[in-house]
Amino acid sequence: MGAVAEYFDNIKNTVTTIFEGMAVTASHFMRKPYTVQYPDRIPVRVQDTLPYRYRGILNVDLEICTGCLACERACPIDCIVIACEKDQKTKILTISQFDIDIIKCMYCGLCSEPCPTGAIHHTSEFEGADFSTESMIRRFVTDPIDAYKPKKGPETDERIAPILNRGMRYVNEFAQGGEAWNGGVVDDGAAAPGADDEEEAAAKQ
Amino acid sequence: MSTLRTEEMTLNMGPQHPSTHGVLRFIVRADGEVMREAIPDVGYLHRSIEKIAEKVGYHGFMPYTDRVDYVCAMFTNQGWGMASEKLANIQVPKRGEYCRAIATEFNRLASHLLSVGTMGMDIGAMTPFTHAIREREMINDLIEELCGARLTFNYMRIGGVAWDLPPGWREKALAYLDHFEPILDEYNALISYNKIYIERLANVGIISADEAVNYNLVGPNLRGSGIKWDIRKDLPYSVYSEFDFDVPVGKGEWGKLGDAMDRYMVRIRELKESVKILRQALKQIPAGPVLAKVPRNFKPPAGECQIRVESARGDMGWYAVSDGTGYPWRVHVRTGSFAAMGIIQKLSQGLMIADLVTLIASLDVIAPEIDR
Amino acid sequence: MQELINNIVAAGTFGKMPETLVAAIVIIVLSAVVFLGIAFPFAGIVSWVERRVWARIQSRVGPNRVGPNGFLQWLADGVKHVCKEDVIPTDSDHQLFKIAPYLVVLAFVLPWAVMPFSSSLILADMNVGILYMTSVTAITVVGVLMAGWASNDKWSLIGGIRSAAQIVSYEIPAGLSIFPVVLMTGTLSMQGIIRAQGWAPQHWFLFANPFTFVAANILYVSALAEGNRTPFDLPEAESELVAGFATEYSGMRYLFFFMAEWGNLFIIGAIITTLFLGGWQFPQVSNNAVVMNILQLITFNVKVLFLVFVSMWIRGTLPRVRIDQLMSLCWKYFVPISFVNMIGTAIWVAIWPEGNSVAGYIMFALGIVLAVIFIQRVMYYLRRSRMELYFRPTI
Repeated sequence: MGAVAEYFDNIKNTVTTIFEGMAVTASHFMRKPYTVQYPDRIPVRVQDTLPYRYRGILNVDLEICTGCLACERACPIDCIVIACEKDQKTKILTISQFDIDIIKCMYCGLCSEPCPTGAIHHTSEFEGADFSTESMIRRFVTDPIDAYKPKKGPETDERIAPILNRGMRYVNEFAQGGEAWNGGVVDDGAAAPGADDEEEAAAKQ
Repeated sequence: MSTLRTEEMTLNMGPQHPSTHGVLRFIVRADGEVMREAIPDVGYLHRSIEKIAEKVGYHGFMPYTDRVDYVCAMFTNQGWGMASEKLANIQVPKRGEYCRAIATEFNRLASHLLSVGTMGMDIGAMTPFTHAIREREMINDLIEELCGARLTFNYMRIGGVAWDLPPGWREKALAYLDHFEPILDEYNALISYNKIYIERLANVGIISADEAVNYNLVGPNLRGSGIKWDIRKDLPYSVYSEFDFDVPVGKGEWGKLGDAMDRYMVRIRELKESVKILRQALKQIPAGPVLAKVPRNFKPPAGECQIRVESARGDMGWYAVSDGTGYPWRVHVRTGSFAAMGIIQKLSQGLMIADLVTLIASLDVIAPEIDR
Repeated sequence: MQELINNIVAAGTFGKMPETLVAAIVIIVLSAVVFLGIAFPFAGIVSWVERRVWARIQSRVGPNRVGPNGFLQWLADGVKHVCKEDVIPTDSDHQLFKIAPYLVVLAFVLPWAVMPFSSSLILADMNVGILYMTSVTAITVVGVLMAGWASNDKWSLIGGIRSAAQIVSYEIPAGLSIFPVVLMTGTLSMQGIIRAQGWAPQHWFLFANPFTFVAANILYVSALAEGNRTPFDLPEAESELVAGFATEYSGMRYLFFFMAEWGNLFIIGAIITTLFLGGWQFPQVSNNAVVMNILQLITFNVKVLFLVFVSMWIRGTLPRVRIDQLMSLCWKYFVPISFVNMIGTAIWVAIWPEGNSVAGYIMFALGIVLAVIFIQRVMYYLRRSRMELYFRPTI
């Protein structure tokens, strides 16, 4: 290609490609914008449109908390603090403290995964701004509460049954371990998640 | 007659400069508009992630891997998952591998969209950036439905993935792919084939094939120089051997081989290839469990392993040493962005200041991935 | 203007004041009304319109909270800037640093003197109108260079030097592109040039002959370059130079720079409209001078605002050129083509001294064909990727 041909080719290319680009942008005048006008100019609250698995601020349903401490151990940054006492005579586990530091929490979802009843779960709430760091610590236990004891059959208590249903649905959303693992060093009693952990925790008390 | 006294100017580009892609600093020695040299100064985003791994255990480190490269966190998730599985010799179920492939390929789309979008923005065109981000938002919506987060996914676990595909997700994903392909053509018409854009990118920051290998470049930066090397194809991991896809390489259509335009076009073409992989994966995905049974108290036998993942920024290496306890003895991450920073000083000689921005954007460096 | 002053003096509103003093008062009051009432609000409103237009191109909404549809956003921004602290860097050259924004604003307000809004609405119909306009707009370069130097900041300095190189270079193709029109009309007066055209598109100088068509495009692009607009916004390239020459400015002084930039859009549009798009020309529908003047005012403003809109649209589409490409575009492409235009028009005028009406019709038809092709391309893109996917019900 000669220099003159290149010169005019450059002009032609510039004009035609700008022409195409302008056509693309002009077509966008006739399209809807893609902005979510959070927080006020939206037909429904954003929280209500979030998917079921959304990992928002943690919440705990103490009614179904078994006090197994699985979440406390799973948390990689130790933002969950639980205190349980077991009455040696009545064998009743009492939860006297269940704090989650929302400032530290990184919403990874590792705590809600091992929960046997789905007591600790992520909500779709994400508006967590507050005025002091102290108020960011969610204290779920006001009065010491007895831990929930899983029953053999379906839950009969009318007050607890819907909460447990919600919790179990949340837990079942997680992938359940399939094929067994046959390598590595396996701790006795810690091989399977869920019920075993709970017993182990109870045994530690 | 005395000569005009001139002197070099030392400019500090960053760490708060608008177009250094995060907290990055360049010490630019410039003679007017022409740079003598640009020396990258890294370390502003160092968060000791490798050390953290030694403190939080195998399961607990998974959310931290998201922070290694927050633009394509699926790959870092997968890298750590694969390293732990290799240490403990765990077999991931087939469906789990497919879920991983689907999630990572969607993440590759998101990451490349961000890359090509910021390329446009650094050149001065804001519209391609918002168009790319708009498409990326839709991918984020899909991934959010899959794993509950938009950026720090924490989707994968040692032995598979944490969640199966939700009901109806497959159809949504396919609908998105149908929507995406014409949008990509439109994007190309808007910016990629624009003459001004090609003039800005072509013949800037030329990396020859030898240089690319010597400087240890990986991923699209390496393939932009014409070297056909893709871990997914050459050292297949996961289920990538079951997919039919091409590895796009730079051809030097607009300038010399290995210039910024080649690297940019490799990314655009990889978007198409990822769509191809996703269609196959969504079609072939088998039934079955997605997570192998792995104990909570995970203690792999003593040993070491090295795995390689083709992340959006190229060959990402994960090296882990286990001493048989519940905590890894040492973890090291080898990332593409850090290698890419090494060549900037050499390439920047004789470029203009405006070209430095192009060069950084074309190498697609992500600040947290450089420092970890 | 002179008539107005004479009338006021004759009416004796100011009693026995000397005539020159009355004239000075009238001129000051009128200029204040024009600048504070028209020029500055226009610059502000354009900033809002630009953000809305740009947002729509980018699938966004843009500012829509202050006032109806965000219309008062410009006022809120202006008040915010006035209230902000006026930071002057310690090591800067204080005097120059303070003066620079005023020079830029000066370059923005002076051209309004020869703005031909209608057949009688013009402050001063100078016989060198267009020449005056191109020369006073070039004062911007002094202000920008001063700002870049006085800031004592390397990024600002690069921005200022870039701006100087750019504005001075693009004066040449811009000036050369005005010549064809001057050759055809034989006058430099704004009103004279408009009167030489007709209201119908085929009588506009844009379609007079192929050379003027090219000249109009070159003039428009060069004017964009002089006004520091994308794709030539190198002096304030935010991805390279942070904010270019305005990096160290804040508050009111910063506002002045950007008010001048947005206000200059009107001036760019006005130059093109006057020279090539028939200015205020409107068919003679009434013999009432006031009605005609209002219609002409509307015509002129519609044409100018369309060009302002196009410049926003260009800004939303194109990337920025590099400094060496900017120079090669100017000196290798625009200047030679402008010379060809000039010679071509000279030959054209020599052959058809009164203009060729057939050429006008043919050129206009070609222009319509171009517009139709463009609309077809727009429809193609609209149909091809029309399907909008919304995963969220919140949109």
